[in-house]
Amino acid sequence: MTAVDLQGLLLLFAFLGLMLGSAATSRRWPATFRPIAAFEALGKAIERAVEAGERVHVSLGTGSVIGPESAPAFAGLAALSRIARATSMSDRPAVVTAGDGAMAILARDTLRSSYGESGSPDLYDPTSGRLLGPTPFSYVAGLPSVLTNEGVSVHMLSGFYGFEAGLAAEFGERARAFVIGGTSEVQSQALLYAVARNPLLGEEVFASGAYLGAGELHKASLRTQDIIRIGLIVLILLGVLMATFEDLI
Amino acid sequence: MRLFRVSSLWAAVAAAIGAFVLLGYFLDFEFIQNIRLLFMRWAALLAAAALLVGLANLVQVHWRKLSLTDEGWIYSAVLILALLATLILALLLGPDDEVALFIVENFQLPLEAGLMALLSVTLLVAGFRLAARRRDAFSVLFLATALLVLLGTGPVLGGAEGQVMRDLRAWIAQVWSAGGARGIALGVALGATTTGLRVLLGADRPYGS
Repeated sequence: MTAVDLQGLLLLFAFLGLMLGSAATSRRWPATFRPIAAFEALGKAIERAVEAGERVHVSLGTGSVIGPESAPAFAGLAALSRIARATSMSDRPAVVTAGDGAMAILARDTLRSSYGESGSPDLYDPTSGRLLGPTPFSYVAGLPSVLTNEGVSVHMLSGFYGFEAGLAAEFGERARAFVIGGTSEVQSQALLYAVARNPLLGEEVFASGAYLGAGELHKASLRTQDIIRIGLIVLILLGVLMATFEDLI
Repeated sequence: MRLFRVSSLWAAVAAAIGAFVLLGYFLDFEFIQNIRLLFMRWAALLAAAALLVGLANLVQVHWRKLSLTDEGWIYSAVLILALLATLILALLLGPDDEVALFIVENFQLPLEAGLMALLSVTLLVAGFRLAARRRDAFSVLFLATALLVLLGTGPVLGGAEGQVMRDLRAWIAQVWSAGGARGIALGVALGATTTGLRVLLGADRPYGS
């Protein structure tokens, strides 16, 4: 094991310890987070969609389950679980699309278990979680028909996107849907910032579960990220100072 | 009670496999490495099989639209016909055959290139819309930066004569943009790590419960 491997393993255990510790002490020290306007607006938009009998669409992006780009889609699945519960009172279940076959299967499993747990197993429809196209642009080309023909009024993008992110958000805007979107790719985030009405920047896409009330471990995750981030900032600043004053030390 | 046990079993299996694969990146023991490689191969095979399941699901969705003559059913008919024709040709002749390559080069690629071109127009419209819709300091900064980089990259001001614009573009791209991107990438890495750990701990169960 190299020194870098050891550091990585220690950092991983630090993550794990902080997450479990934060979750265990959440009652004594409850987490408070800054309001994110996009998530506040999302909650209201979902309520409006349920009342109006319209559908919520969750797009899990074009990344593969087995690639490193799967993380924002997993965050999207956690959000989907909450959204499915919130829309279980509606007669129009949420619809989920993905650009990867395995991700579409996971979306169907999430919908099935969420509707089952909320006491509405009849709402589950196998065609509500679907593969739109196996390549990024074929996926995006399939989006307009979902958004316009299936009465979608909330269009949530949470997954990996390349340049197709701009079109994925734009089709939602053209369908006059509430568009909220976040991804892990920095360049695609810039596209979403320009196109989507409610962009999620940086790691905000991973915070959807915590802001939608998916459980204590989601809140503990955010607290852990903050603690590790502060630690990393201190280390970076120390490194900058040491490099700057290297000759004097 | 039975449901609880079954879901816990799946969570335990997923967590154990995930932990082995994760530890394989840090620990150089032969046993763990072999197990990691085996699981990775299984994952690749399952992902390939999942594509077939996804395609079957795609046909199911569009067949339903076609049989109910829902709005846009004609597009569903075209999609099913194109999918079946391409699939049969590729299965019979092989994916590297001239006919299969002809379809990719003359249908798939031009359509995707057309969508890429549509993206450039979309971004231009979105830029104007952003200026009208979100009038805050960040949006102004975003648009001004995009404009400066665009001018510094273009042939008129960013050409051989426009040294100042080129330097300005390089300064924005290499100092401010790269610094900001690294900060965002750091945040994304932290978020991705906690998301992965939640799946490993069984708190998030994308495989259903």
